[in-house]
Amino acid sequence: MTVVEARDITRVFPMPAAPVVAVRGVSIRIEAGDYVALCGPSGCGKSTLLHLLGCVDMPTSGALFFEERDVAGLNDRQRSRIRLRRLGFIFQRFFLLPMLTAAENIALPLSEAGVSRPEQERRTAELLNYVGLSARAEHRPSQLSGGEMQRVAIARALANRPALLLADEPTGELDQATGEQIAALLDRVNADGTALVVVTHDPAFAKRSRRTLTMRDGTILLEETRP
Amino acid sequence: MNAFRFAWRSLIRQPARASLGVIGVAAVGALLFDMLMLSNGLVLSMQTLLGRSGFTLRVSAAGSPLPGTGQPISDSTETAAAIAALPEVAAAVPVRFANSRILRDAWERAIDADLVGIDQAQRRIWTLVEGGDLGSAGLAGRALVNENLAALLALEIGDMVHLQANCGMGISAAPAVHLPLAGVADFELDDSDDLTVALTLQDVDRACGGEGRDAADQILINAADGVPDQEARVAIERHRPDLQAFTNAQLVARLQEGGLSYFRQISLVLTTVTITFAFLLVTVLLTVSVNQRVGEIAVLRALGLSQRRVIADVFCESVLLVGTGALLAVPIGFVLARGLDRILKAIPGVPDELHFFVYEPRALWIHVALFSATALLAAAYPMRMVANLPIAGTLRREVIG
Repeated sequence: MTVVEARDITRVFPMPAAPVVAVRGVSIRIEAGDYVALCGPSGCGKSTLLHLLGCVDMPTSGALFFEERDVAGLNDRQRSRIRLRRLGFIFQRFFLLPMLTAAENIALPLSEAGVSRPEQERRTAELLNYVGLSARAEHRPSQLSGGEMQRVAIARALANRPALLLADEPTGELDQATGEQIAALLDRVNADGTALVVVTHDPAFAKRSRRTLTMRDGTILLEETRP
Repeated sequence: MNAFRFAWRSLIRQPARASLGVIGVAAVGALLFDMLMLSNGLVLSMQTLLGRSGFTLRVSAAGSPLPGTGQPISDSTETAAAIAALPEVAAAVPVRFANSRILRDAWERAIDADLVGIDQAQRRIWTLVEGGDLGSAGLAGRALVNENLAALLALEIGDMVHLQANCGMGISAAPAVHLPLAGVADFELDDSDDLTVALTLQDVDRACGGEGRDAADQILINAADGVPDQEARVAIERHRPDLQAFTNAQLVARLQEGGLSYFRQISLVLTTVTITFAFLLVTVLLTVSVNQRVGEIAVLRALGLSQRRVIADVFCESVLLVGTGALLAVPIGFVLARGLDRILKAIPGVPDELHFFVYEPRALWIHVALFSATALLAAAYPMRMVANLPIAGTLRREVIG
């Protein structure tokens, strides 16, 4: 089943000097359980494409379908529902809410989705255990290491059992060993059935995916598929 | 986690800023609450004061803007008796107010005191503390003083009181009158530091050099049981078209139209200024707070929190800031009002019983309504910022930043 499909999408940012074409006529299809790495030099449009696939931005032209629904026909509330229930985001800088504990950060999307309090607690405990941070449930982000924060962010992204996880340079702020642990965790998430699109500069990380798309100047230059 | 709890956690994350915001709103709110109490305070206080004397109507000569400000009523004893005989009236007491100088002895320095001339045939406006009463008309020749005057002059019952009257045209050319002290009384309309002497109308006439005129400034009236004040007023004016009767409510209305309206205008201006300050303060605090957290807000939106939810978070922050400040403002406002009232009451001639800042439930409701509107309006701009936040653009900027 196709989770998200982009058909000839373009994203142009109007700028005072001249419009910038960040994504130019890209077509891509992400299937359930897929593992895709987006590579390329800085400014080639990887993150913009990720934002478009994640329904946080809209293409200037072309069509985008999420689980066969045309995203252009959805209003802000409907796109929010998709992001909440069907998508998960992981950011390079973790972006955990500093005033909430690890458990509260994970429970936030559950609470927004209307999950009951006991179920929130159960699912949060399950996810903390999944990322190996059960002992850190009541710690604030400031009391966690970079790797631990990214684990909490992964748990938060998985809270509502998304069909697709989008990660924007998830190891970019981590040392090599910790980055390796996070990459291994994401492998596990994918192995458990969640489709994964990862933006990365790290060729070793990209090699973990089954498909690597190399971008340049807003277009997909190369597609490598691994068994 | 609901929006209120989330907003609370966001606020306490910056305790210094949140505290400053709450203190600012509380200070401004206390002033606002005081202005609301001031806007109607004198009117309410005046109502209480007029009601406390027990008389519900006041009669003066026709054409007087307020009782006691026009021509005196001549033959007041007879007039009061005629009015008291009306079925709509229970009691009519003529009174005259003047100033006097009291001399303990003929060669000592004089002391200024308020002079009240009254025939209290039906009803007294004092409570006797010591000695005997003044006596009704015909039993002239005795004086009654308040405790302050008795203490100041070390007067004993039976001592002679030497009095020179000032009946509106400077000290009378009439010689001082000498009257034995009948008693010491607590006068209903006295301030705590007032010096008051009461004589019969006949003795006041004598002291003013107009013996036999039987003049009074006003006649205090009580309507008969079950008779509305308005009905008694109409009956008095029908009976004596040369007189004018005022109910207490009319008097308050006249005062409101006159001098007291200045307080209302001042309070309206200051209320507007203070609420504007509260609005600006909360708007600035929330705008700064939102500007500092745009990255977080964009992340929340990316995680699927709806536009409505992030707007609600900002609104709840505003409600918490304004609500806590407004709540604290009430006790602070009361303390401040007490201090300001004391300062204003130090103005010479302001009776003790008169208050400039008077609490009424209406003031509290307006306070709540104004701050509710402030919380909403102050949050409007930050809420708009949050609503229109471009998620992808903000995330990109945050990562680059």
